[in-house]
Amino acid sequence: MSAKTDIVKPKTVRVYELDDFEKLLRGLKVAVCMLTESHQVVDEASVIKRLNALTIGGPSDGNCCSCCGVGPFETRAQQTAHYKHHWHTHNLKRKLFGKTPLSLGQFNSRQDDNSSVSGSDSEGDDGGTKPTNDLFAAATRHCKAFFTNHYGQVFCIYRCILHHRKEELSTDGDGQAWVERCQRLSIPGFQRWAILMISGGHFAGAIFSGGTAVVHKTHHSYVTRRGQGQAQATRDQHGNAPRSAGASLRRYNQAQFLEHVQEIVASWAEDLIGCSLVLYRAVGASNQAALFGKNSPLKRDDLRVRALPFPTRKPTYKEVKRVHETVASIEVYDTMELFQKALIASTAKPLTKSGSDSNVERSKKTQKSPNKPIDRAKSRERTPRELPTQVTSSEDEGPCFIDSETPVGWIKTLSEQSSRGIITNSRKDLLNDTAIASGRSSDSEQNDAQENKEQTTKKKKKKKQDDSKPVKKAPPKIPANVKKMWKIISSNEFNSLETIIESWEGDDLEAACNTQDPADGNTALHKAAIAAKPEMVTQILTAGGDPCVKNHLLQTPYAASPHHDTRVAFRLFQAQYPEKYNYNKSQIPGPLTPELLQQEKEKKAQQKRAKRQRDKEKQAEKIKTNKFLQLTDAEKVKLDEPRCFLCGTHLPKQPFEYDKYKFCSIQCLQNHRNLRPLHMSA
Amino acid sequence: MAVRVQFENNNEVGVFSKLTNSYCMVAIGGSENFYSVFEAELAEAIPVVHVSIAGCRIIGRMTVANKNGLLVPSSTTDTELQHIRNSLPDNVKVQRVEERLSALGNVIACNDYVALVHPDLDRDTEEILADTLNVEVFRQTVAGNVLVGSYIALTNRGGLVHPKTTIQDQDELSSLLQVPLVAGTVNRGSEVVAAGMVVNDWSAFCGMDTTSTEISVIESVFKLNDAKPTAITSTMRASLIDSMS
Repeated sequence: MSAKTDIVKPKTVRVYELDDFEKLLRGLKVAVCMLTESHQVVDEASVIKRLNALTIGGPSDGNCCSCCGVGPFETRAQQTAHYKHHWHTHNLKRKLFGKTPLSLGQFNSRQDDNSSVSGSDSEGDDGGTKPTNDLFAAATRHCKAFFTNHYGQVFCIYRCILHHRKEELSTDGDGQAWVERCQRLSIPGFQRWAILMISGGHFAGAIFSGGTAVVHKTHHSYVTRRGQGQAQATRDQHGNAPRSAGASLRRYNQAQFLEHVQEIVASWAEDLIGCSLVLYRAVGASNQAALFGKNSPLKRDDLRVRALPFPTRKPTYKEVKRVHETVASIEVYDTMELFQKALIASTAKPLTKSGSDSNVERSKKTQKSPNKPIDRAKSRERTPRELPTQVTSSEDEGPCFIDSETPVGWIKTLSEQSSRGIITNSRKDLLNDTAIASGRSSDSEQNDAQENKEQTTKKKKKKKQDDSKPVKKAPPKIPANVKKMWKIISSNEFNSLETIIESWEGDDLEAACNTQDPADGNTALHKAAIAAKPEMVTQILTAGGDPCVKNHLLQTPYAASPHHDTRVAFRLFQAQYPEKYNYNKSQIPGPLTPELLQQEKEKKAQQKRAKRQRDKEKQAEKIKTNKFLQLTDAEKVKLDEPRCFLCGTHLPKQPFEYDKYKFCSIQCLQNHRNLRPLHMSA
Repeated sequence: MAVRVQFENNNEVGVFSKLTNSYCMVAIGGSENFYSVFEAELAEAIPVVHVSIAGCRIIGRMTVANKNGLLVPSSTTDTELQHIRNSLPDNVKVQRVEERLSALGNVIACNDYVALVHPDLDRDTEEILADTLNVEVFRQTVAGNVLVGSYIALTNRGGLVHPKTTIQDQDELSSLLQVPLVAGTVNRGSEVVAAGMVVNDWSAFCGMDTTSTEISVIESVFKLNDAKPTAITSTMRASLIDSMS
């Protein structure tokens, strides 16, 4: 029975609930919003205006736009403004395509909602402006028809049970045709409906008489590909049809299914003849062929056969019953206001949405179907996945040059990120892995990654030394003299470093220079570079400090040096001893001889001088202009300088002038004259 | 005076030349005869230069020009552009534009103050056009045809439009352009009037086939009989109007 749950929600009455339905039909009239009689009123003025625009040599005298039907324009400004308006361009294009022009209101409303309303609605010149016309547009587009009755109630019935899409019922006058159709529904003979649904290898059909199903039948075959989610037939149409066992099984099933459904429909032939309405859902050629194929009792051109006006779910008997119930339901609003509110609220949504039934949506929420359909049109949520680790071997890396102009800050942030583990797949990890893989003893594995790196980046000779040493302690022991050297570097004692290097015994010196501080991986060269001591850098380089060793921030000594002088020291050294190291990986941008350095310095100085000169000239020019501008007009005339009287810039070859005043542009001239209108008139 | 001329036995002289109030361009490689007709008529008033656009001789259809400036399509090579810049007067702005509708002469019709353009012309091009040629730009069609540049020959004194333009459209266009318009033909009935002739404020050149009736229509609408090139109407016009208003 009618269920009144909410004030907002309308009552629902089913067509086959005869008592309620007949009560509704008393004093039946078509709702005003469906009727077109308001459009019979002709605005005489607008017709005359249009006629005038069309008449050759009429009063408009060409001073109008016949394309958009506006004008005559009062001023030139109005005319040009119109021709530059987007509306005019739009109408121009419509005219080219043989369409009628839009009024400004229509154009604006289209711009606003940007909807693609197909075709041009011939009625309603200024449709967008009036709210009643809005309502009419919404009502005529709606999938339901609206009626009022004796009690002032408004109720909505699906159009599909009143008329076929192709038979247009006239909405002129009082809509007698609609009323007749609606009243006819209460006769039991007109309540015998068939509902047939086919989709994805499922068939469900039933014939209802009143509220009960007389006959019903469902059938299912395996025809859709489970994994890919597409009917086998559809897949085959793309060409390159698969020849798997599953595919051929599905193809066979499809043929069988078609035959079987045709059989079912044929067996219902007599029942279907008695039906006043056959509602179907069959999307796609193969599904339609099952219903309307040869020897089928259903014909496409039969006006009883109509498509369902709303989306449905998988064809099952339950779904068929739900569809029947939905189609037969009538929404009843107690007053016109309630109805209008509901209608406008529903059309406020995008147009495509308003086509689907609110009932369906509601029932969707209440009945949760166990197998949730997957919406393939929507993008799915991303599941968090780990990034793939990228393997880059340090040997493959080509020479990495950092230009002398490369900002040091940038290098620093990059290396800081890597040290904090933000850049995960760095060489550090990689080296760690290889070290473990190389099958070292368990003690050495305690050594942190830093130490492993240190060992591998050094030459193989060094590695041999390590192996020969007894490995006992986790942190490597730093020789006292190396520590001393570091201390000297940090404490700016240039001479003592020299003495240490000179007094060093054997080839140990080179190793000492390349020993890395376990805290940050810096060698002596790094320390000298960071402390910005170019002399020390040269010293250590001579003594054998390798400029390619990288610290834990993955910086070479060159990259670590914050000052220009230090970096120059590296480059000078490279020029002096090009063979001593393999500079490829040291990130030193290239050798630099003292002559080149000198040239560079001179060039920079030259640029600076030129810039200063230019600034000076600009300043002088500015002062001159200001002085000129402060003069009175008479003085300016006397001075006869080639400058604009208003803005003081230099005049072009042919200046713009009036009286004795000269200007750089028409704007200046106009502004000048506007400032002194009295002077002009005199 | 309107002069009859032919480009290598072809009557479409508007395709192979471009005429404005401050310069004239003719296609490179035509017979010397074609060039000398222009030279004889114009040389004492304005420069006549040989030009090619992207190696082609159809310069009249590829470019759009008035006394203030010249627009060339993006296919123009750098050397051609440089040559044009060198040979045109200094106050003529030359600009290359990136436009999908690259036959600028077919899609734009202009005189020194106003331009009609194809409805689909790019907004950027419209802006460049307004800046370079100092014109007011309107999107319009002529007799239901989008190629306004082909179907209107326009000067500051008058215009010749497609013969099938309705009187109503002529009235509208002439009120928009503020010059008198006449519907007519050139070259013994050719309706592509801009391709069949070139015209400026005091001279016109049309194809050899043009009948005397057509010539008389052209001379009367462009007011060629009483016209002489003067500095008053061309160079000083802007400042004159300003100081008289």
